[in-house]
Parts: sequence; C-alpha cells; structure tokens
Amino acid sequence: MVKTADKIEEEIRAIFSGETPWVTIVWDDPVNLQSYVTYVFMELFGYSKVKATELMLQVHNEGKAIVSTGTREEMEHDVARLHEYGLWATLQRGDLI
Amino acid sequence: MSATEGFKRHGDHSYIATFSESEREVLLNLCEQIIELLAERVDHGHEDPLAAMVGITSHDTPPEDEVLHRLLPNAYADEVDASEFRRYTESTLRMKKQAHAVTMRIHLKSSPDGVIDLSHDEANAWLGAINDVRLALGVRLKVENNSHEELELLSPDDPLRGVYAVYTWLGWLQETLIDSLMDDVQEDEDSQLGNS
Repeated sequence: MVKTADKIEEEIRAIFSGETPWVTIVWDDPVNLQSYVTYVFMELFGYSKVKATELMLQVHNEGKAIVSTGTREEMEHDVARLHEYGLWATLQRGDLI
Repeated sequence: MSATEGFKRHGDHSYIATFSESEREVLLNLCEQIIELLAERVDHGHEDPLAAMVGITSHDTPPEDEVLHRLLPNAYADEVDASEFRRYTESTLRMKKQAHAVTMRIHLKSSPDGVIDLSHDEANAWLGAINDVRLALGVRLKVENNSHEELELLSPDDPLRGVYAVYTWLGWLQETLIDSLMDDVQEDEDSQLGNS
C-alpha cells in the first residue's frame, strides 16, 4: 500500500514539475541487417532475444519503434549509443508522439 | 568473392575467422577509408581549445557529405535541439566510430596469416566498424531507392557492381559474426531457464 501511494505521489509530482517522459525512437533503414538490429537491442538494452526481435520487426514493418523510455538525459545517452552502432535513432518528448 | 568461411565461435566467447590475403587487403582498405573520412570532420583551428578538450566542437550543423551525415546523424527532428546536441556530442561519437575502425585495422595488420581471433568486446567493435562501412557503401549505392533486384542486374562494366559485391559480402560476414555471438546468448538464456 505504501508503495502504491509513493508511486502515485511520484507520478503527480512528475506531472506538475513538467518531467514528462521522453522516448527513443529507432527508424527503419534499408542497410542495417535485421539480425544486427536485434543484436544491438540485446547488447545495449539487455533485452531478451524475443523482445529485441519484436522491436526489430516493428521497426521493419511500421517504419519505427519506441525502444526505450525515460528522462531526456537518459534518452540522449541511448540515442548516442545507438548512433555509435549505426542505427538511425532520435529522441523526443513522449507526450508529443 | 569469398574464400573465408566467415566467423565461427570457438569455446568460450572467442570468435575466429581466417581471411585470404586479398580479403584482408579489402577489409584493411575499407576501414582505413572510414578512419580518413571521419577525420575530415575534425574541426582544425576553429575551436576554443578548452571547449575542444571536453569534446565540444563548433559543429552545430550536420555534415554536408551524405556519407558523413549518415554516420553522424541528427538526434532530434527539431533543428535547434539537433544542433545543440551535436555541438556537445559529435566529436565523442566520431571518436568512438574511429576507435571501432582502428580496432579492426589493428587486428588485420597484426595477423599476416589472416587469422582473426576476437573477444566479445572486440567482436562488437568489428560489428560497428563493418556496419559503418556498409552504411557508407549503402549511400553510394543509393540503396534507399535501388532495390536489391536492380543492383543485382548492374552491368559488369558498371563500377558500382564491384561496390555492390563488397557490400553484400560484408553483410554476409557481419551475419556470420552475429550468428556466433547469438549462439552464446542462446546458451545463456537456456541455462537461465534451466536454473529457474
């Protein structure tokens, strides 16, 4: 119960302090191999092969996928690492998608 | 083109491939081109030395060269945010990519017999470097607009035919390395399931 109350208070505080969540988006790219994209998701985010494959397929079929969520700083870090491995990634505010 | 059988996993976290002399030269040449291309982006003499020391550059617009632009892309759709981010991060990204290519070059240079033996981290550097080469070749081949079927049908006289052959060979090589790395992941996941 205490945990739930804390969680709600934390969320309310986030809403009023303008700390909206940010997202990292990976865009489809005709060069990157499907297996490579899956492997990079597993390596960088520690996702299981199943989850990484689902995200890769979403990128491939829908043109993009949200691969991580967090603060702006965290998403900038994720985008920089994805760029290091050649994936086409951007970040933006989660409420503006 | 392929004499090598690609990468295979040997024992614990060791990934080995054997390249012919001509394959080794092609790979060396390609990673040197990437290193040189990225070096073109170094902002000589225009930066505040103190800012440069902490990785801040005066670059706040994307590279005009299409290949460099693909290697060092914008992080935001919004241009103002993108330039701000670029000023603080582009030189770090460039150096990381150069480090991947340099790692690959050192391995190739230091194995005259063509045998490459990589650890997990070294394999990741190779994957990143091979991928940067493929991205660069992909821009030249305009893979955005040209389908693989069209590229397969290039005339033997077309200089892009050779580029396409290298591009597909590198894709195959990258795939053999990923397959070997995935074998390890699969074993780890299986053993975790076994323990639970």
